[in-house]
Amino acid sequence: MRAAGWSLPVLALLTAPALAGKLSVTVTDSAGAPIPEAVVYAMPLSGRMPSTAPRAAVIDQINKEFVPFVVPVQIGAAVTFPNKDNIRHHVYSFSPAKIFDLKLYSGVPAKPVIMEKAGPVALGCNIHDWMVGYVYVVESPWFTKTAKSGTASLDLTDGEYDIRTWHPWQHADVPATRVKVNGAEVRVSFRIDLNPPPKVTAH
Amino acid sequence: MRLPRIHSLQARMVVFFVILLVSAQAVLVLLVNASGERIAKSRIAQELMVGERVFRRLIDQSNRRLGDAARILAADFGFRSAIATRDYGTILSVLGNHGDRIEANVVMLADLDRVLLADTLHPDRHSAVFPFPALIDAAQRERQATAIVLIDGKPYQVVVVPVLAPVPIAWVAMGFAIDDRVALDLQAVAGLQVSFLSQDKAGRWSLHASTLPAALRAELLTASGFAAGPDGPKFLELGGEAYEMLTPVLSDGRDGRVVAVLQRSLREGLEPFNRLRAILLALALISIGSSVVGSVLIARGISRPVNRLAAISRNIRDGDYSQRADVEGQDEIGDLAASFNHMLDGISTREAEILRLAYEDTLTALPNRAMFHDRLRQAVLTARRTGEPVSVMMLDLDRFKVVNDSLGHAAGDQVLREVASRLRGLLRDSDTVARLGGDEFAILLPTGTPERVTMVAQRILRVLEAPIVLEGQPVDIGGSLGVASFPLHDDDSDMLLRHADVAMYEAKRGNTGFAIYDPRYEEGRQTHLSLLGELRRAVENDELSLYYQPKIDLKTGAIRRVEALVRWIHPTRGFVPPIEFIPFAEQTGYIKRVTAWVVERAVQQAGIWHRDGLDIAISVNISTRDLMSNELVEWVTDLLARHAVPAEQLCLEITESGFMEDPARALETLGRLHGLGLRLSVDDFGTGYSSLVYLKKLPVQELKIDRSFVMNMVDDEDDATIVRSTIELGHNMGLEVVAEGVEDLAALEFLRRLDCDQVQGYYISKPLPTAQFEAWLEARRQAERTEATTPA
Repeated sequence: MRAAGWSLPVLALLTAPALAGKLSVTVTDSAGAPIPEAVVYAMPLSGRMPSTAPRAAVIDQINKEFVPFVVPVQIGAAVTFPNKDNIRHHVYSFSPAKIFDLKLYSGVPAKPVIMEKAGPVALGCNIHDWMVGYVYVVESPWFTKTAKSGTASLDLTDGEYDIRTWHPWQHADVPATRVKVNGAEVRVSFRIDLNPPPKVTAH
Repeated sequence: MRLPRIHSLQARMVVFFVILLVSAQAVLVLLVNASGERIAKSRIAQELMVGERVFRRLIDQSNRRLGDAARILAADFGFRSAIATRDYGTILSVLGNHGDRIEANVVMLADLDRVLLADTLHPDRHSAVFPFPALIDAAQRERQATAIVLIDGKPYQVVVVPVLAPVPIAWVAMGFAIDDRVALDLQAVAGLQVSFLSQDKAGRWSLHASTLPAALRAELLTASGFAAGPDGPKFLELGGEAYEMLTPVLSDGRDGRVVAVLQRSLREGLEPFNRLRAILLALALISIGSSVVGSVLIARGISRPVNRLAAISRNIRDGDYSQRADVEGQDEIGDLAASFNHMLDGISTREAEILRLAYEDTLTALPNRAMFHDRLRQAVLTARRTGEPVSVMMLDLDRFKVVNDSLGHAAGDQVLREVASRLRGLLRDSDTVARLGGDEFAILLPTGTPERVTMVAQRILRVLEAPIVLEGQPVDIGGSLGVASFPLHDDDSDMLLRHADVAMYEAKRGNTGFAIYDPRYEEGRQTHLSLLGELRRAVENDELSLYYQPKIDLKTGAIRRVEALVRWIHPTRGFVPPIEFIPFAEQTGYIKRVTAWVVERAVQQAGIWHRDGLDIAISVNISTRDLMSNELVEWVTDLLARHAVPAEQLCLEITESGFMEDPARALETLGRLHGLGLRLSVDDFGTGYSSLVYLKKLPVQELKIDRSFVMNMVDDEDDATIVRSTIELGHNMGLEVVAEGVEDLAALEFLRRLDCDQVQGYYISKPLPTAQFEAWLEARRQAERTEATTPA
């Protein structure tokens, strides 16, 4: 799976005759502090997107936490929830984008969960109330999330895009930033307000 | 029991203590009442406020509990799964089902946009705005929120929690109706009456739950003015009972507000205080009661002995000494009783002594006249019943007066004591011998048969014949006895005594030793009785008069002296001889009045004769008692001056015994009288025991030979010798000698031969009243003149 992930840009590079530009995104809060784990994705105004198979994603449960906290996937992606703890988990989601639950299991569940609708999928564990994780399902193949520095970058083909960002703790939807990619590097920065939930102690 | 008088010690003590205690208790009760009620009320207010805090705390706890329950419920996976179905029917049923699990009466579900998704109370209502957005706001902050709110006008405890999956996906609200059960639970912990009321926007009140009985609920609702007014306890009367109440507002929202009414019954609150007051009152009554009893007992402990002492003192007043005070205890009452008994003893001892003195002759220790009278009266009374004869004897010593006069009172007393002892020695114990006074004794023989009386009388006389030795000299006393008997002579005790007296005088006169009463003795004796009173009257009424007996100077034949003699002409009895009242007057002391009268009258007469040119000196007899009087000299001086009588015209005649009693004093008085120029004469010379030594010292000018010698001297050689010797003695001592009792010419001639100076007697003249004497004197002078002109 990972090999496939790596092959895709290469393929695009090889197959797309069009020139490409680099998109650099910085997400900070209102105080200017970098916000990691913010999903960043680009929606082409043309609506034309390469029909590549969505990449699968893995969300581990390590030490009674979902790792990573936020995982952006493209619609149709299969997400597996390997249990790395020596206790069982009951992973569920009641989010409208994907309702599922994986009854008490250990190890890797037999079937991955296929994300069929765009939107946030809040993950929980029915045994450990504090365990929260998110799968953010986007239609676009161009998505990433910010690193600790609050920055992320995407290689986009030339064209016009709406650049969007999403963070689980955000107050409200963040307006998209429209950019025109034309060979050169495009910089976009988002300033968002976060409303972090109260810390819940693990048991 | 006698009712205590209000003035009594007992009543006053009881009243004092009771008033004291009642006042103290009243003050205490009033204080407790005043402060107790205040304390109780403030305690009720305190309780009410504590109750309110407890109430609020309970509501909080209940809210939290409900919130926790709701949160757990909302986290239920099935519940979340059902909600995630987005199927309205499923959601409604899961709300109802899970609401039932925690007994919620209403469950609502709202989405994150606060749109009502389902409402178990109104299943048909959805897509409306969630009615309690503030609760969601709070729940967002606190994870859960609760409040009391009105739903359809009824109060509910509503809790709002998020449905987490694991982040909030919806809000669920669970409502719990506030009903009577809730109120009762609160009451059980807070201890207050709890009611829940609401007021809608139109201001209408409704009551939803209460611990009050149904009847009071309606009343509470109508009395709902409680909503207004200041915070803090308010007063409320409900069903006739007073309450303090607090009305905390539990919520004030869109549809109106919810108010809790917390009540505390004043009666219940005051109950401990009322119980205390009742106990206090009971204690007060008990202590008042016991103090009444106690003080009555103490007061009786004081007043009863005091009353007894008072009763005993009344007995003492009435002469009953038999009862003594009971000496109980060591206290003051006991001391008083002991002192009382000492007083009682003292009084009875003194009274016995007084009685003894009253009924005993101190000199001889014999019964006295009073006691003798008593015994005689008793004996007569007894004899009247028994018919036994009773005899009374009167004894008079023959020569006691002589002993007394010549040897003095001490000797006389010794004689009396000796006689008393001899009489007692020969009489039975049942007989009574008493000294009536002077040398007069009386003997009572309660069983006096005539034989025994005679025998006893003879024995008495015999015993008195034995001489009594005085200062080494045997002295013959002798006595005369008179006897009178009951019922022979009289049946009255006083009369018996008088009869015995009469008989005694008869015996004395007849020198017979003893005489038994005979009514004939009474003749001539009668006059002696009740003499004193009559004599007194005689002096005052001028029944006395002076008779004058002339004395002839044998050398010249002239009449220059007379002896004044008192005569008593009684208005009914006629002439009373001096021998019948003079000795009596001497005994009683009345002689002083008689002498005063005689001297005054004599001096008056002397004055008259002196003015008339008659040279006649008057002699007057004065008694021993007169001579002892201090005033005699002054009185005589004054009298002579008043009537202008030269001193030598008055002559005082004194008997020998007159100055023998207290010679020094008699001498002094006589000396002063002599100094005045008065003539002094010794009367009855020869009958006494007077010493010639005294005679030598006496400042007298005259001796009078007693008539007893003169009357027999012509026939009796001894008497003639005495008369002759006396005349010679008198002349040798430079005194004039007067002989009295000259009754015939032979005596007169005899005396003339013996060279007697003056004579006096019936031969010359009997004593004559003034006028007759003057006539006699005139006739005699007439005769002398005739004799002189015509010599015989």
